[in-house]
Amino acid sequence: MKIALFTPCLVNQMMPEVAIATLSLLEKLGHQVIFPQGQTCCGQPMTNSGCFNEAKNTTLKLLNAFKGVECDAIVCPAASCLVAAKENFHEFDKSPEAQAVIDKLYELTEFLHDVAPVTQFNRPVPKKLSLQLSCHGIRMLDLAAPSEYMGPRYNKMEALLSRIDGVKICYPERLDECCGFGGTFSVDEGAVSAKMGKDKAQAHANTGADYVVGFDPSCLMHLDGTIRRRQLPIETRHLAQILNDAL
Amino acid sequence: MQKVIQTHAKAADIFCRDESRVDWHSKALWVLREKRDRAASSLPEWETLRALGSQIKLHTLRELPSYLEAFEAKCLSQGVQVHWAKDGAEHNRIVHEILSRHGVKKLVKSKSMLTEECHLNPFLEGKGIEVIDTDLGERIIQLNHQPPSHIVVPAIHMKKEEVGDLFHEKLGTPKGESDPTRLTRAARAHLREQFLSADAAMTGVNMAVASEGAVIVCTNEGNADMGANLPKLQLHSMGIDKIVPDLDSAAVLLRMLARNATGQPITTYSSLYRTPKPGGEMHVIIVDNGRSDMMRDKLLGEALKCIRCGGCLNTCPVYRRSGGYSYGHTIPGPIGIAVGADEDSTHSSPWACTLCGSCSFVCPTKVPLDKIIFHRRRLYAERKSLPYGKSGYMPLVGRFMASPLLLDTGMAAARVALKILPHSLLKPMSGAWGKYRELPAAPGSSFEGWVKKNRPELLVKSKGEK
Ligand code: SF4
Repeated sequence: MKIALFTPCLVNQMMPEVAIATLSLLEKLGHQVIFPQGQTCCGQPMTNSGCFNEAKNTTLKLLNAFKGVECDAIVCPAASCLVAAKENFHEFDKSPEAQAVIDKLYELTEFLHDVAPVTQFNRPVPKKLSLQLSCHGIRMLDLAAPSEYMGPRYNKMEALLSRIDGVKICYPERLDECCGFGGTFSVDEGAVSAKMGKDKAQAHANTGADYVVGFDPSCLMHLDGTIRRRQLPIETRHLAQILNDAL
Repeated sequence: MQKVIQTHAKAADIFCRDESRVDWHSKALWVLREKRDRAASSLPEWETLRALGSQIKLHTLRELPSYLEAFEAKCLSQGVQVHWAKDGAEHNRIVHEILSRHGVKKLVKSKSMLTEECHLNPFLEGKGIEVIDTDLGERIIQLNHQPPSHIVVPAIHMKKEEVGDLFHEKLGTPKGESDPTRLTRAARAHLREQFLSADAAMTGVNMAVASEGAVIVCTNEGNADMGANLPKLQLHSMGIDKIVPDLDSAAVLLRMLARNATGQPITTYSSLYRTPKPGGEMHVIIVDNGRSDMMRDKLLGEALKCIRCGGCLNTCPVYRRSGGYSYGHTIPGPIGIAVGADEDSTHSSPWACTLCGSCSFVCPTKVPLDKIIFHRRRLYAERKSLPYGKSGYMPLVGRFMASPLLLDTGMAAARVALKILPHSLLKPMSGAWGKYRELPAAPGSSFEGWVKKNRPELLVKSKGEK
């Protein structure tokens, strides 16, 4: 498939290794990857604060970077940004060109599980992984059945990772409780956010896993800052990095 | 107790200073969430029930006038007196008028967040009528001169030792007694005297059944029934949103209410009242108090599907770590923000949320709580009344993010700063982030910079990009 990479500002600016791993693994899987220029933030920090006017220019800038770009799918290694981009594109531009972009948007896990399924990995990863089920990914993108939901159980990240030889999967206590990042929540509500982050990081560390693995870079950044502050014996990894290691 | 006006973040910050209490509070409520999960998962049809519950409530809200009229007509035909109150003040006046007509000196009350919302207790006490809350939790906080901190377990913020001290002082239990069974027994004995000496009883309403002209009251302690059955005069206050069409719809909601609240299959007592007792009087007061206004906004109106199970509070990671008193309105937690944000003069309660969405999935009637909270923020932005300095800095953030050049140079500078500045200098600059966490390790370049250098053949320009 021909895939346009969507790297939200946080990934582009602060976690390029996540984007590089995504690029590398998509290429190893035989896809052709392109990188549309001029991408910026999806507008989430503003819309999450209620400030839709302030978000408009930013969001449209990002949308423009993808308009008319020839590709089969637009793939993003950040669940929360993907959800926001989808909603904000729709909010600010109702044209058929915008809809064409929206229709091609996929989060990485979703893409590798539902659209172009990866069934086999070549290299073992002998690590114990504690999975970080970030809220927007599981509750808004259906990447896993949330614990509150009593319908059928599914978990796309676990399904992908469990196909890798040597991987041991585990979950923290209160497995899908929010880590407390929440964008500007982490700054506005510093004390609660920090306490949530601390509880989450500790729960991951308590599993004895080597890595906290997730599909949302912002939660991982928050947990990483907490883990290092508390010097917990665990590290964060993005799903793309583990999958890339296994290919 | 004088209420101090402060933002949610400030109140939460204070609550968080006692970390062992936060852990205890968080755990006590999480236990309820776990019980709820077990109870819900024991019904294979749980998700079907939720869908039905949501449809029943939506349908009723859409046809509200006709159901309310049908309910009133049925009540009247059964000898029940019906009153309409447009707001809290009118509700209180009506209640007082009924009570004073009967010369009531003491009122026993049970299960009503609505009377909290209307601030009935201080109003009646100001008129010389003694009001006794008879639910154990409500009685505890009443003795402690506090409002409820949770809608189902109102005294959840108090440890049993603290209740022991309070009972020692107010009810004369032995000093140092903290055994829940013995404390409960003491409270029962005390309440029994109140029931026997009360002149009237008042309850909230969990559901009002239009087809029967009946109100349903659910309690675990049987106190609503003790109240309603002893004195001749009984009053029931209900919000207009409590109406359901018939017993079948009530049954759907009753199957979920207690399961989602505490994990019980059903509340211990679910009583239906529909006629006055011989020689007595039964009054139902139907209160609007802002509900029809909320219904004008389609999304806010969905908050009225709520059946007050408290499930969203128990699951909320922010509520559990900040306590019910941090929200600045009568009803705390996610549903509190949905229905009460306008009461919060600091405008901060809609920001007491990470938008994690757990509440919306836990809710038995599918109130889209996270969407409503998100929407509340937008309403504040439109009214230009954002908290935490957002109206000041958000336009700047908007301009910064919309300019790839600014974003790029700004972030490049930040990456350099993260690399070369000593952390002791950066931490105060990075505010709340650096106060609680290490700053991110800075990469050498952006991904775009990396692509330009290493994989330039990947770059494409879109038609939209000028
Ligand atoms: S909003 Fe839903 S979960 Fe929350 S109290 Fe109401 S019914 Fe229960």
